Amino acid sequence: MRGARISRWLIALPMALLALATIYPLVFTGNAAMKTRRDYILDRFAFADTLRWDNIATAWTSAGTARYFLNSVIVVAGAVAVLLLLGSMAGFALSHLRFRGSRALFLGCLAALFVPFQVIMVPLVRTMADTGLVDTYPGLILAYVAQYLPFTIYLMTSYYSAIPAEIVDAARIDGNTSYGVYRRIMLPMGRPALLSVGVLNALFCWNDVLIALLMMPSAEHRTLMVGVTSLRGQYSADIPTFASGVLIAAVPVLAVYLFFQRRIADAVTAGSTKG
Amino acid sequence: MPLGDFTPLLARPARAGRADGTGAASQASPRKGRLSSERLSPFVLIAPAVLVIVLFRLWPLLLGVNFSFTGDGERNGSAVGLDNYAELFTDPLFLGALRNVGWLVLLLPVAVAIPGMLATFIYLRVPGHRFYRSVYFFPAVLSPVIVGSIFNLLLSFDGPVNRLLGLAGLGPVDWLGDSNVAMFTVVGVHVWATFGMSLVVFLSGFATLDPALLDAARSDGATLPQVIRHVIIPGLSRTIQFVFVTTMIGMLTSMFGLIYVMTSGGPGGSTYLPEYYIWIQQGQMNRPAFASAASTVLFLVMLVVGLAQVSFLRRTGRED
Repeated sequence: MRGARISRWLIALPMALLALATIYPLVFTGNAAMKTRRDYILDRFAFADTLRWDNIATAWTSAGTARYFLNSVIVVAGAVAVLLLLGSMAGFALSHLRFRGSRALFLGCLAALFVPFQVIMVPLVRTMADTGLVDTYPGLILAYVAQYLPFTIYLMTSYYSAIPAEIVDAARIDGNTSYGVYRRIMLPMGRPALLSVGVLNALFCWNDVLIALLMMPSAEHRTLMVGVTSLRGQYSADIPTFASGVLIAAVPVLAVYLFFQRRIADAVTAGSTKG
Repeated sequence: MPLGDFTPLLARPARAGRADGTGAASQASPRKGRLSSERLSPFVLIAPAVLVIVLFRLWPLLLGVNFSFTGDGERNGSAVGLDNYAELFTDPLFLGALRNVGWLVLLLPVAVAIPGMLATFIYLRVPGHRFYRSVYFFPAVLSPVIVGSIFNLLLSFDGPVNRLLGLAGLGPVDWLGDSNVAMFTVVGVHVWATFGMSLVVFLSGFATLDPALLDAARSDGATLPQVIRHVIIPGLSRTIQFVFVTTMIGMLTSMFGLIYVMTSGGPGGSTYLPEYYIWIQQGQMNRPAFASAASTVLFLVMLVVGLAQVSFLRRTGRED
């Protein structure tokens, strides 16, 4: 028994080091953002003597991060709203309304899950360009919806399947149509799943760079992630300002993670235990 | 689908409780319009989603395959047969990208074993297991752009990583500038950024494992490696299979951001992956049809690797 306890601590030590290796990169970046350029060049490892917000301010204003941030917020909010609406409608239909072809549609949805964006990106961008959607907010929102909808439908369908048919039947006895059931039963009862899926989709869209790079070529429409990649060239000699840009892009994710950690993990693992 | 083709939803015998209730509701309905709108409701609810998926995901797949047999530039739109594919397999950059995919496949067991081992320890409640769980998962929610940017700083020639090596008496490594090292550096950063995702999946698999089995093995005096070999691996075969497939898909389709930020495919094209190659051909070289051919090859590679993995893992699972 004692031997087992010692070996547990022996395992815990490398795990603690790994935890350090997980946190340190972000600490290093945050620390770099708080330094003056001179301090960073002289000693990049020492902790900054005070919290200095000048670099953050520079990155936010003169580097244009504010604009990129706004673009990202617009696109992520739009995409998540549409994803949740379409995903919950389809999930409800697939889980509680038996109709001919529902099984085939569900399987088709799963198949779409396995078509990676890289495989379809060339024709997709062409289609988007032909319809004038490239370099517009609706275009990028649509591209995100198309990308993450199969996954959203899959999770919403499996969540709604767990709602007993009796509840739906009771609502119908009360005179509700399918639309009424959707609005009065499925949307309120689906709230936990909608929140989890919404958070996860928001992270996906916020973090994406490839789709945004293809769909938003002009500088004023850049999303934050594309903006960060352009900061790198612009501020290659001014690491503290560059690190500030990275920090601005990471902080919302950090906040979301601290609030919704459990939900994110649940949504990620929902696919692994079923099927 | 012809309208008369499906049984009216309201008269479904499949759900006993519903037939009565909704029947009554429809009788109460004064207008016939409501009944037929009710009948169409599943299709109305699902139509927008189907439309988006078909138009923007499945249709482009066909369009792309079709497109890959046409020419670019001067031969724009004309059928060129397999020319694009022939050129693809003589391009050293694309062959290098495929060779890198081979490396990824070889490194895959490592990328699965690391989170698997860590999840095992967390499941066995090493001191501080709750803390590790949330800390390890954190990088998984960061964008590849952020991760890549941070590691650009960390891996620079005079950066923290080389400084740490220096303390151990090891010479500095040119992590991103040496064509023999760069690909492994990028894969290593990718694993750093994503192992938390697999870890969480493993932990949810452990939750379905019967603890009595573990207790029995322990009271029989089984060592940790024996427990892993005979209890955990067979018990989690499904989870392991899932992690293998998702890790592979992740490596083939979500490293663009890292490559774009950290190496831009260099040095000397040594960190190309098919997805980056497609992007370069489409965006920089303006050869969309040629890029489509590369897309089609990537799709086939993923299909083959995925199916091979599933069948391999199924077979080993059965032998146990």
